[in-house]
Amino acid sequence: MSILFSTILMGSIGLIFSIFLVIANKKFHVEVDERITKIEEALPGVNCGGCGFASCSNYAEAIVTKGSKLNMCVVADSETLAKLGEIMGVKVEKGEKKIAVVMCRGDREAAKFPGIYKGIKDCAAAIYSSDVAKRCKYGCVGLGSCVAACPFDAIHISEHGIPIVSIEKCTGCGNCVEACPRNLIELHPVSQKIHVYCKSKDPGAIYKTVCTNACIGCGLCVKAATNDNNPDAIKVSDNLAVVNYDNYKLKKEYIEKCPTGAINFEQNVK
Amino acid sequence: MKLLLLFIASIIVNNFVLSYFLGICPFIGVSKRLDSAVPMGFAVTFVMTMTAVITWIINQLILLKLNMPYLQYVAFILVIASLVQFVEMFLKKFIPSLYKAFGIYLPLITTNCAILGLALLEALKNYNFLESIVFGVGSGLGYTLSMAIMAGIREQLELSNIPKPFENAAITLITAGILALAFMGFSGMIAL
Repeated sequence: MSILFSTILMGSIGLIFSIFLVIANKKFHVEVDERITKIEEALPGVNCGGCGFASCSNYAEAIVTKGSKLNMCVVADSETLAKLGEIMGVKVEKGEKKIAVVMCRGDREAAKFPGIYKGIKDCAAAIYSSDVAKRCKYGCVGLGSCVAACPFDAIHISEHGIPIVSIEKCTGCGNCVEACPRNLIELHPVSQKIHVYCKSKDPGAIYKTVCTNACIGCGLCVKAATNDNNPDAIKVSDNLAVVNYDNYKLKKEYIEKCPTGAINFEQNVK
Repeated sequence: MKLLLLFIASIIVNNFVLSYFLGICPFIGVSKRLDSAVPMGFAVTFVMTMTAVITWIINQLILLKLNMPYLQYVAFILVIASLVQFVEMFLKKFIPSLYKAFGIYLPLITTNCAILGLALLEALKNYNFLESIVFGVGSGLGYTLSMAIMAGIREQLELSNIPKPFENAAITLITAGILALAFMGFSGMIAL
């Protein structure tokens, strides 16, 4: 008898709850645009933030509700973009792939270290708390904040203590750019291969005391560029050669005379 | 006065995670970052309060009246599961920002044993209606407190030099153990 009673009781409680839930579901139903879920499925789903939105689902929502552009996802390959275009009914063209470039060549052989840093393994903490991380006030301290920030496993500290970016794995999401406390990482198109791998604005004497790979602002590259009728390609300001990225015209010949090797061809990538 | 004592007791002395050892799964799983641990804590608080109210009604007005207390477990699980479903629907419709902030944690609470533990303890100790609500809110806040403490410690641990064998899970469990030891210091302060 008690079995019957309890079955009836539990059955009726369950029934009441389920009726209640069904009504609630009808009443609280929220219209969701089907395209949002479809786009979310098509997106890579790594939530790297490279598009400027907090997550892939936020971006998918922005595409449908706010009409954001479809080619903002830095990770998507042409196949994914084609799928996105199909869902939204438009044609998408992909911009050129950008990768992260680490603008420092001050590895353990070139740069001088006044001491050994043994604090917590975080670049910002090292710079904030002590001078022993590196003598150069502009250079990479090599503790790997960018490595920790990378969602794609594309950046690693090399055996010489400088981050190395993998061209294949890097998607140009820019998480490492924000992670670097010395703003050494920049995003540049893959086709631009020559960069000034130094951010030091100190005068030329740093070559002897701080880092043998530093840019000393000698201007030989500027002279070579001017002789080739390209005076805009590169200029020297504050003892530092600065590449004109708005109109990128650097050629291999300009950098051959660089005495320190600060301006170089495809450094810090593999 | 008794209600106040009960409130403080359920937050600190009888902390669900650190003295009853209930709800350990999200305590370890979601406590990696402070900004996800605290929303999880509040989601649990919310569901705990609702559960305390509804299970009290079901237990006192139906199960005990019909002399069928052995159905408590089944009935409470039923209540919790449908309650969480309902809360999810409600939030999605009326407070979408909160729904987004809770995210995956809300459905996760369905399988959180701390909620069932709360309902069963409340039935076991025969609290009246007001006491049940206070017990629910207090336990939820206690849960939030322990989540926040754990997440804070783990964020610090991320930056520390931990010996290789102790990394990740090991150091987390050791931390949880030491925290529980620390909370043992409160035991017996308030007897309820």
